[in-house]
Parts: sequence; C-alpha cells; structure tokens
Amino acid sequence: MGSFVFSALFANGAVAAIVEIRIFLDKGPMIRPATLLSRRGTAMPIVAMVLVVVLLGVFLWLLDRSEREEEEHALIRDALWVEQSLRFQLASDVDRLEQLADTIGRSGGTDVTAAMRHLVTTNPAVERVLWLDAEGRIAASVPPVPDGRTVAEGAEPGARGDALRLAGSLGKRIYTAPYQLPQAGMGFDVVVPVYRGRGYAGALVGVFSIDDILTHHVPWWIAERYQIAVADSNGAVLGAKSRIAEPKPRRSHAIPFDPPGKGMTLVATVHRTESNLGRTVLVAAIFGLTGSALWSLWMVRRHIRRRLRAEQQLRTEHAFRKAMEDSLTVGMRARDLQGRIIYVNPAFCRMVGWSEPELLDRGPPMPYWPPEDLERCQAVFSTVLAGQAPPDGFELRLMRRNGERFDALIYEAPLIDANGRHTGWMGSFVDITERKRAEELARQQQERLQHTARVITMGEMASTLAHELNQPLSAIASYSAGCLNKLRADTVAPAELIPPLDKLSKQAMRAGRIIRRIHEFVRKRDPKVAPCDVAEVVEDSVSLIRADARKHGVRIEVDLAPGTPPVLADRILVQQVLLNLMRNGMEAMAQTPREARLLRVTTRVQNGAVLTRIRDRGCGVAPEVAETLFSPFFTTKKEGMGMGLNICRSIIESHHGRLWFEPAKGGGTAFLFSLPVVSP
Amino acid sequence: MTAAKVHIVDDDEAIRDALSWLLQSRDVQAETWESAEDFLAAWTPLMAGCLLLDIRMEGMTGLELFDRLRERGCRLPVIFLTGHGDVPIAVSALKKGARDFVEKPFNDNDLVDRVIEALAFDAEQRAREAGQASVTARLATLTQRERQVMDLVVGGKLNKVIADDLGISMRTVEVHRAHVFEKMGVKTAVELARLLASV
Repeated sequence: MGSFVFSALFANGAVAAIVEIRIFLDKGPMIRPATLLSRRGTAMPIVAMVLVVVLLGVFLWLLDRSEREEEEHALIRDALWVEQSLRFQLASDVDRLEQLADTIGRSGGTDVTAAMRHLVTTNPAVERVLWLDAEGRIAASVPPVPDGRTVAEGAEPGARGDALRLAGSLGKRIYTAPYQLPQAGMGFDVVVPVYRGRGYAGALVGVFSIDDILTHHVPWWIAERYQIAVADSNGAVLGAKSRIAEPKPRRSHAIPFDPPGKGMTLVATVHRTESNLGRTVLVAAIFGLTGSALWSLWMVRRHIRRRLRAEQQLRTEHAFRKAMEDSLTVGMRARDLQGRIIYVNPAFCRMVGWSEPELLDRGPPMPYWPPEDLERCQAVFSTVLAGQAPPDGFELRLMRRNGERFDALIYEAPLIDANGRHTGWMGSFVDITERKRAEELARQQQERLQHTARVITMGEMASTLAHELNQPLSAIASYSAGCLNKLRADTVAPAELIPPLDKLSKQAMRAGRIIRRIHEFVRKRDPKVAPCDVAEVVEDSVSLIRADARKHGVRIEVDLAPGTPPVLADRILVQQVLLNLMRNGMEAMAQTPREARLLRVTTRVQNGAVLTRIRDRGCGVAPEVAETLFSPFFTTKKEGMGMGLNICRSIIESHHGRLWFEPAKGGGTAFLFSLPVVSP
Repeated sequence: MTAAKVHIVDDDEAIRDALSWLLQSRDVQAETWESAEDFLAAWTPLMAGCLLLDIRMEGMTGLELFDRLRERGCRLPVIFLTGHGDVPIAVSALKKGARDFVEKPFNDNDLVDRVIEALAFDAEQRAREAGQASVTARLATLTQRERQVMDLVVGGKLNKVIADDLGISMRTVEVHRAHVFEKMGVKTAVELARLLASV
C-alpha cells in the first residue's frame, strides 16, 4: 500500500513538473513557440515517466532483496533449529542406548531383549538394536536377525567391525559412516561399548535409519516450507523428508550433521515460497497505472499536437481570410437583427471614410447616409431588415466623410451563424460611381454617334432634300409670279387670284413641314422614349426619303397594317433606323433595271411586337458578308463609314427589339426589325 | 398640226399647277403631264410647242424621256427643270441637243421668257422645215442641164467659164440660168446659194 501511495505521489509530481514546464514555456519568449513546445513538451514528461518507472523498479528490487534476506535468515534459523532438534533426538536415543549398555554391563545380559524391544518400539528412528558380545557375535537382536549373520551384516564389511574395535578400545560410543540398510534407505550405526566390571563385554549397536530420523523428527511446519535432506560429503542425498524432485536449484542451507559426522550435512532447501498475491497485485497495479499514465500522457500529447495543428491551420486560415478581406475592394458590412453595425472591412471604411471603431455598434441613421436622402435610406434599411432586399442587389446613393456622394451597388444576404441561427445581415458594397460615369459617357458617346450618323445621313441626302424643298419653293415662286403678272396686266378679277394664292400658302406649309422634319431629325436632343405609332414614323421617313428615291429611280411602296398598337420608342431614332435601311435598300438596287427598282415597306403586328419589313430588289447579301454585316466599320460602299447598320441594331436593341435580315422571295433582301408593343 | 403649247411633264402636282398658272398669266397655253410615260404615250410628231421636263421623276426620268423622244425623231425644244445638284446631268442633256435648263427654284418670268423663245424657235423651225420642203420640190422641177448650171453658179463661176466647162454657148448658159432662177424663185445667185444652204 505504501508503495502505491509513493508511486501515486511520484506520478503527481511528474504531472506537476509537466504543468510547470508548460507554464514556463507559455511565459517564455515567443520564439517559434510551436516547435519549442513540441520538443520540450514531449521530452520532459517522457523523461519524468522513465524516472518514475526506474525508481519504482529500484524500489521493488530493494523490497524483493530485503524479503529474500529475511527468507534467508528464516532458512538458516530453521535449518539450525532442525539440526539442533535432530541432534537432540539422536543424543537422547544414544543416551538410552548407553543406559541400556550400562544396564547390560551391570546385569550381565538378563532381560535385555525386553529393554531392547522397548527401545526399538518407542524410538521410530531406531531400526534395530543389536547386542554383540566381545567376539562380535550377535547376542541379541531386536528385531531378530533371520540367520546367524554377524557383525558384517548390513554395513560394508569391516565398517562395523572397525567401529566395534574402536568403541572397545576407546570406551566411548562410535558412529559409523552411512551405509545402505537392507530394508531401504541409508542408515548408520551407533556403537556403544558394554563393560562388565572393568572388562569389555561387547557392544550395543543401534541401527538408525536416516529417513526415519527425518520422517519422525522433522515437524510438519518445517517440512511444509523446506525440503530437509541429509547428504554425504559428496553431496549425494542419503535421506530426505520428502523426495520431490526440485526442477531447479533453490536457495538452500547446509549445516554439518555432527554427530553422526563423517562428512554428513543437513541440507534445508526452500521448496515452496510463499506466494504473495497481494504484492503481485500491487505491482501489477503499479505497472498498470504507470502504463495507463504513459498511455494517457501519450494521448494528451497526441491531443495537444492535433490541437496545435488545428490551431496552426486556424491561424493560417485566419491570416488567409484576413488577407483576402483586406485585399477586397468590395466593402463588407454586417449588421445584427436590430440593424447595428457589428462588422466592417477595410474596403468599406475606405469607401465611406469612417474608421472601424467609429462605425461599430452604430445604428440608423448611419453617418454615411446623405442628409438629403435620409428617408430613402431609412426605407431601404427597413426593407433589408424585413428580409425583402432584392436578391440581385440595389443601388443607393451614399456619402463619404468628406461629403462626396457616391453610388453603391449593394447586395444584402442573411447572416447565419455556425448553429444555423439567423443573426443579422451581411451587405457587400460596390462603388459604382466610376462605372456609372463610364456608362453615362458611353451612352453619351453612343448618342453622339447616333446623332453624327443622322447628320451624315442628312448630308448624304442633302441634294435630294434640297430638290424636295425646291418643289414647293418653285411652286410658290410660280404662283406668286403668275399672280403678279396678272395684276400688272390689270386684267384680273380679284376672285381669280384666290385659288392660286390658296395653293401657294399650302406649298409654303409643305416646305415648312419638310424643313421641320429635317430639323427634327438632325437636331441634337436627348432620347425621348414615348408611345409612338410605327405607321406614322414610317410615313414620315418615306416622305423624307422620297426625293432620294426619285433620284435613284426607285419606287417606294408602303403597306401599313391598320391599327398598329403603339410601341414605346424614340420616334427619331426609329426614323433613323428606317431611313438607314431604306437608303441601304435603294443603294442595293443600283444594278437593278430601273423598272424593277421597288422598295417595299410593310408593318405587321406579330407576337406582341410591331414588325417592320423593308424589302428591296437588290443584289442581296453575299453569304461571306452576312456575318460581318452588323459589325462596326464594315461597309460595302465607297464613301460609307460602316456605322449605319451597327447603329441601327444598337438603337433597336436599346428599345428591347431585334433587327435582322433575310433573303427576300424573288431576289433581294428584307431587313426586319421588331419593337415590343406597349403592354396595357 | 396641233396648236403650239407648252407641255409640262412633272410628277409633282404642285409644280405642274403652279407652272401652268404662271404661263397662263402670260397668255401661254400649257398642258400638264403626270409622268414621262403618259407623255410618251400621247406624243405625235404633229405636237408643236415646247417641253418643260423635270429631270427627276419616279419611274422614267426626264432624261430618259428626252432620249426616247429624240429616238423617235421628235424635235420639240426641251427645257429641263433641274434641282441644285443636277447641273452636270443638265449639261450632258444640252450636249445631246436639249434647248435649255432652268434650275429650281427658278426666276419665273425668266422661265416664261425662255419658254416663249422656245415656242418661237419651234414655230420658226417648223416654218423653215415647211420652206425646205418647197425648195426640194422646186429642185425636182430642174432639168439635168439646169441642175449642172445651178451647181456651177452656186460655186461662183462666171457664165463664160460655165459655157467653157459645159461646152455650150454663153447664150445657152444665160437661158438655163434664167430658168433656174425662175424655177427656184430667186432673183440673185446669192439668194439661190442661201436657199440651197438651208436644205
């Protein structure tokens, strides 16, 4: 139990050491913190754990050693005890033999057998008692000897005889060397000389069986723990308490067994160590705990490494996102559900001119709302918070800090957090002031171009238009000259002059109309989209171009569908398209025989659009030209700019219409354009 | 022969009407035609007067009409009415034998004057043509010898030289000469020469 507490304390100490290392590292200079932490952070706990294990091992080894020493002491003690006990037994047996010998010496051998028998029966270690006379013959034997064998019986020849002689001459007891007993096992003799009076009267021999001595005089509690054996000087076992063969040499202790002596030793061998279950469990538990501590340490380390990796990734990701965010030119602004700003990116700050801290936590009205547009901004704000922001963005005029106004294109999207909760609104702002300016510039350029094209068209038609204008002017001059002639001749009734003067004024109006049309057509003006009747536009255009047609010898047929619904268009631009297409058609018929030069203009209502068709009887459009017909600067004419059809198409497309061409039946080309009817 | 008048061919009704009013104010008779085709269909060699022709018309142009009329032997004097840009066309028409061109808008009484001139020219031309027809008839009455004598007289030869050339007597030459003068209705050789030159 003590060792467990010790190891637990140690483990705690190691953990504390690790914690300290961590703290030290956290406070240390932040030089490559990750690698530093990973190197020391992993090495130190492992060293500590190894130390713990080594110390535990040493501790257990010391414990084991002290136990062994204790066991050794017990062994020696027990062996000494056994030896003493055996010697005591033997001594007491030999004492009885001597008493008997003394009795025989005094009584002269009467009633010896009974005493001998008593001795044998009460002393299990004594195998046999012999009384030998002075000549070495057996006078009595208990148990009786079956034949009349003498001294030499049992022991090696002469051994007992030598002992007899020695005993007789020395007058004291003599132990023989061990020998093989006839029954089994080894044994030895104790020869006690018998003196009658002063004379040697034989000897009393006690045959002791070593096995029996051990069997009867070694107590069970010794036998339980040790194997007690008697060995000779060569180590050969002469007898043992139990004869279990030991698989491997165990600790043993040998003590000289004297008497009987003769090199005999008493050997006590530990044959069963006490199995200390509690301690084994304890050791197992300690090692188990150490193992699990190591394992958990390793797990912690792995966890930390994973965490570090994740943190590193997070840092990288964060840096990446930050860089991305900082590099954006699109302003980002997040608001919570109440409309307070919770986030702005640098681009947004740059755009409006207020810094992040100034903007954060601001609610409406925002500082970047222009004062004149407050209501509109407030309305848009409410729309967005109500979740009704248009998904394809909306435009709003905002204000910079320096008071400059700018147009922003704003996209609002709900802000959803990691748990899927709607926490606010994220808006992205694109400054489209420049774009709008560019668009406006492009539009103006387009208008200028269209206007230039109109002026060029008029310039090209100038001579024919002059002719057209000459018609009424000539008529006017003729009428007036005629009237003057009549008046000068004084032969006229005033009533006669009324019809020509009437006609004159009509011609003046006609001239005025022509001039107005030209002026309207050429005048620089802003596009004015309004519902207009295509039929009227066609008639106007035809009247403008009729003089030109006459010059080219081209007949113009106009076929207008009755009651065409109005279209939403700028009539002058549509007129420009018509004039361009009609002039192209006329020019295409330069090689056509004069009688066949016919330009046909028709209007039809089709699929919710007014379709205008201008068909010539010209040379048609060559297939290789067809693809590039509408590209800018493409022309088949000598003096052409190549802008006509291009401008026509862009005009029609700006009216959401379509302009195309197809080969006409019976030769020539038909150009068609459609303009959507005004939806009621 | 129809009465001489001004034929106005113009597809603009106002021009036609105004011109005819103007001409009428100067007591010039005018007839109007809506298109070149109409006039061409109605034309006969007997038409007298002059032609006021607009160069630009739908369908057949004035110039085309002029060419067609010339092909058919019409010798009516033609005055073209032209716009500002059409002067080169008018010049080429003049080269083909048109009488005149007037640029619109025109000085009206000037136009009328030119029309009257053209009418007079036409009348004279027609008269001359009529005269020429009589000269030819008179020439046909001459004998071969009288013809020979006449050619030599017109050539400016003296009677004596003529007599030598023809191998006849001076007296015979004088008789033939008298016959020629009588038949041709002239009194002098100069008159005869002028008459022959007009044919």
